[in-house]
Amino acid sequence: MSPVLDNIDLFVDGFLTSLEIILWALAGTLPLGVLIAACRVSPIPPLRAFGTFWVTTFRNTPLTVVLVFCAFGLPELGINRSFFFFGVLGLVLYTSAFVCEAVRSGINSVPAGQAEAARSIGLNFTQGLRYVVLPQALRTVVPPLGSVVIAMMKNSAVVGAFGVGGDLWSTGQRLTSALGYETFPIFVGGVAVGYLIITLTAGALLQVLERRVAIAR
Amino acid sequence: MTSRPNGEPLVRLSGVNKWFGELHVLQDIDLDIARGEVVVVIGPSGSGKSTLCRAINRLEPIEKGEITIDGERLPEEGKELARLRADVGMVFQSFNLFAHKTVLENVTLGPTKVRKKSKADAEKRARELLDRVGVASQADKHPAQLSGGQQQRVAIARALAMEPKVMLFDEPTSALDPEMINEVLDVMVGLAKDGMTMVVVTHEMGFARRAANRVVFMDGGRIVEAAEPESFFTNPRSDRAKDFLSKILTH
Amino acid sequence: MSFRRGALAATMTATALVLAACGGSGDDTAAPEPEVAEAPEFEAGTTMAELAEAGTIRVGTKFDQPGFGLENLEGEVEGFDVEIAKIIAGGLGIAPEDIEWVQTPSAVREEVLEGDEVDMVVATYTINDTRKERISFAGPYYTAGQQIMVAADNDEITGPESFTDNPDATVCSVTGSTPAEQITEYLASPDQLVLFDEYSQCADSLSNGQVDAVTTDNVILLGFVSESDGEFKLVGEQFTEEPYGIGIPKGDVAFCEFIHETLRENEDAYTEAWEATAGQVEGTETPELPEFDECA
Repeated sequence: MSPVLDNIDLFVDGFLTSLEIILWALAGTLPLGVLIAACRVSPIPPLRAFGTFWVTTFRNTPLTVVLVFCAFGLPELGINRSFFFFGVLGLVLYTSAFVCEAVRSGINSVPAGQAEAARSIGLNFTQGLRYVVLPQALRTVVPPLGSVVIAMMKNSAVVGAFGVGGDLWSTGQRLTSALGYETFPIFVGGVAVGYLIITLTAGALLQVLERRVAIAR
Repeated sequence: MTSRPNGEPLVRLSGVNKWFGELHVLQDIDLDIARGEVVVVIGPSGSGKSTLCRAINRLEPIEKGEITIDGERLPEEGKELARLRADVGMVFQSFNLFAHKTVLENVTLGPTKVRKKSKADAEKRARELLDRVGVASQADKHPAQLSGGQQQRVAIARALAMEPKVMLFDEPTSALDPEMINEVLDVMVGLAKDGMTMVVVTHEMGFARRAANRVVFMDGGRIVEAAEPESFFTNPRSDRAKDFLSKILTH
Repeated sequence: MSFRRGALAATMTATALVLAACGGSGDDTAAPEPEVAEAPEFEAGTTMAELAEAGTIRVGTKFDQPGFGLENLEGEVEGFDVEIAKIIAGGLGIAPEDIEWVQTPSAVREEVLEGDEVDMVVATYTINDTRKERISFAGPYYTAGQQIMVAADNDEITGPESFTDNPDATVCSVTGSTPAEQITEYLASPDQLVLFDEYSQCADSLSNGQVDAVTTDNVILLGFVSESDGEFKLVGEQFTEEPYGIGIPKGDVAFCEFIHETLRENEDAYTEAWEATAGQVEGTETPELPEFDECA
């Protein structure tokens, strides 16, 4: 029998755990990334400096180092939460830098006149961003943001090495290392297929979204 | 020709200076604009006339001097500035309609988000204004589906919806095809007749003659000359104004 | 934080160096030199004949397992598994310096044998039936047992059953390891198991309160306890038997029997090998050579 079908229940569990990690991380990183992008284009210099610092820090640090910081550093500072929480947190922090830059590129693609017009009718900075600039930025943001999101989905595999058991990746590790199955069929037939289901679905959703926002123009 | 109104100046610029890096684009500008007055600002390109217009609602910050609107000093940033800008309507050369919103939404956004009007009230008023500028039938379209002239008229309606104390026009017809210029100018003349205080940067001398109380001629970042339109066009005092007029009026 | 991790890694390495440097009886400065047979005779066509003819053998072992197979700063591997491999190589007439060491982490142990990248694997390799479907084992040469390590002030966890009784208690082990599998049957919920790539990460997490216990083979845990300066302790008895075998290509019965024979003939070297390596950790007992399984 196929080693994947023999252990299909493990793979389904792993798939669901990975999906859970990804959905929580998305729910955290998208708003955070937009917030940091707002800081980076804000008229207030300390906020701009903070945004730049954030992006510089997390964009230039390997994900594993961010995860080490979350899983081992925060407990050292007396913050004890589940490894699942730390893993998702690491993904959120790391990815937010890339979300920020994708959103910022979108903001920059909106002609300056739009923001000026928003200001000239009395909208403040936040209102201008929210009602005028960001909705238009969305059109150009969807493709690069899609790449960031899909990269994050794949990066979620790394979280499995930081105390979060039972995701797709560690399920593959468990079956091959501990239970002695062959690496190739397990990882290609099981682990890769699991991630592909997630990323291809995401890709399809992104295409729909891209078409939607293009029409909304 | 309307007579020049009296009373306290609505907009006052005193000792205004601005630099773009090394370039001194506004030099010691003093200008009072009375309530109900229509001031046309003309001058060669690079004379600082657009910058002057944009400085009045602080789209361009100034380095020195003071600008007051209705007796209130223009704030630096933040909530106060936003509130003051709501009282100053602005019409741009390139229309700058919100591309993702319908014509109606363009006009109601400010009243609902800034003036906190109800959606129904804002839409009612918006339709009246769109009717007044002659684009009522386009209310549900997106800006890209409209001609330039129509877009600019929507932009005027958008500004008017905020019930501004003063309207700034930054070369409102420069980006339009010639056949569309008049439909926009007609709306502006109508506004002027209704007593709106207006600052208009334009090359349209016909508009200046028809609607302006005063023409301000700028060159090299300074106000060179200010006069009633008739006397300015027939008898400019400065050599630079004479030179400028000779170039544009022969065309 | 990173300092602590670094410090731990450094002490582990240092321990291994000390282990290697101390030698069996304490006055030697090097691990025992196994006996190397002079020109042994083997039946033509056997693995032994081929290896003896070649004068070299490729051995897969771990490079990161203190006491069993650890690469030192000079790039040499040392540990009990390494010494076992040297004894076997000696029986083939191959000197230790002619052995080619191949780093073999847990995940690839079957692959390197199937792919003929090594001739045998000595790498804390637990004998089990799934593995036997792909490779054959000689041995066992040592029986490890799984135990539980907790913080010294923890009185609530007394053995694996504590995880059944207290579903909030968490236990850490290494991804894809046999101990991680075997603790699962004691767990009330799969969420109690925390997995990392390395045991040092488990020890760190135990130290900073992220997990309540660490479980793996006793020998590995004893290494951490002895380094922890009283911070950690072992609780309960060994609750599994982990027979460590020598992985060889599937079905090579003659090679398996040769390994058995060589180990039996070198019981003294076996004892010395233990005492010079894993036996250096306080609290360990010097093992007897276990009963071998039948070669198949």
